[in-house]
Amino acid sequence: MKEIWAHDVKVWATLTREAMLSPEGGGDQNAHVVRFWIITMMLVLFGLSTLKLR
Amino acid sequence: MLLELFEWLGRDVRAFNVFSYITLRTVLASMTALVISFVIGPWMIRQLTVMKIGQSVRSDGPQTHLVKAGTPTMGGALILTAVTVTTLLWGDLSNRYVWACLVTTVGFGAIGWIDDYRKVVHKNSKGLSAKSKFFWQTVIAAAALSYLAFRANLPQQTDLIVPFFKTVAIPLGAIGFIVLGWFMVVGFSNAVNLTDGLDGLAIMPTVMVASALAIFAYVAGNKVFATYLGVPHIAGAGELAIFCGAIAGAGLAFLWFNAYPAEVFMGDVGALALGGALGLVAVICRQEIVLIIMGGVFVMETLSVMIQVASFKLTGKRVFRMAPLHHHYELKGWKENQVVVRFWIITMMLVLFGLSTLKLR
Repeated sequence: MKEIWAHDVKVWATLTREAMLSPEGGGDQNAHVVRFWIITMMLVLFGLSTLKLR
Repeated sequence: MLLELFEWLGRDVRAFNVFSYITLRTVLASMTALVISFVIGPWMIRQLTVMKIGQSVRSDGPQTHLVKAGTPTMGGALILTAVTVTTLLWGDLSNRYVWACLVTTVGFGAIGWIDDYRKVVHKNSKGLSAKSKFFWQTVIAAAALSYLAFRANLPQQTDLIVPFFKTVAIPLGAIGFIVLGWFMVVGFSNAVNLTDGLDGLAIMPTVMVASALAIFAYVAGNKVFATYLGVPHIAGAGELAIFCGAIAGAGLAFLWFNAYPAEVFMGDVGALALGGALGLVAVICRQEIVLIIMGGVFVMETLSVMIQVASFKLTGKRVFRMAPLHHHYELKGWKENQVVVRFWIITMMLVLFGLSTLKLR
């Protein structure tokens, strides 16, 4: 019973990950991560500009 | 262009004088290039898709790359447009360094454009021959470098500066300056092109190196900082910070579309132009050795190809599983994302090391 449960969890995890990585499942994880990095860099740049703009 | 306008307005309203500061214009140039690329980007990708300007994938490359066939290429035109428009808007157009960099970048971009166009539109798999590409790169680089060499009026504008040593400067003379400069400009142009083989691999190191070069340009152009840090003072070089800021901004926006899985590739039009631009900025700021350190990933990729070819011709054996280096790691089992992000991390460390040469001398 324990083995079946472990197997089911593994299958579920695999399916979830595949769904997450597929465009249908919300797009590609990597592209999202990199785009959030870019947004952070833009905000940092904006933050740094406040050094001069005062 | 805007600098002249704000200078004129500043005569009546003093607040406009804030735009005369290079630091502020660099930040604004980065943001302008970002916005231009974000606005034009989706439209350009749609146009490239409609015109069927899709990348062909090398048949002997990793099998995982076959799915990339048909992805729109020549996206470097987006970067070039954003950088050119932004530099014309925020740069001092009476500065000869700005024009030298702009003309060289657009010239190298034109070579890449012709190469990409022949490959993709005319379905000529060879594109522009390696010889003619190399010839035109040499012509453009030699023209820009000769102009800079013969307009130089102080020895520090042509001396080779050795990092970590405050007093070591090797006099090159005009010819030595042109030869070393050619090596940097053409070499980096081709190095970035070789590195551009995985999604986001070439553009993020370009953004990081360009950002660091903006700092070097600013310091070189500012007499107080240059004297304090012991780097050569190159009057007017500070304006290149705006050009570098534009590259960083446009590059970041391009990464938005180029991140794995890429919606668009930069193609030779982007890679050749960006590499040439980095090389020329480093030559003007007299930071050739520092560029070799900071652009270590580009250097490693190029060396891997040279070693692979030399080894195969001399001994019949391959040193790497596949060249350039990123394919070697892919074939070793690293995922594409892992190779890309790890090469970014290496570049970050190298850029920090390069920046440390400002103080450690």
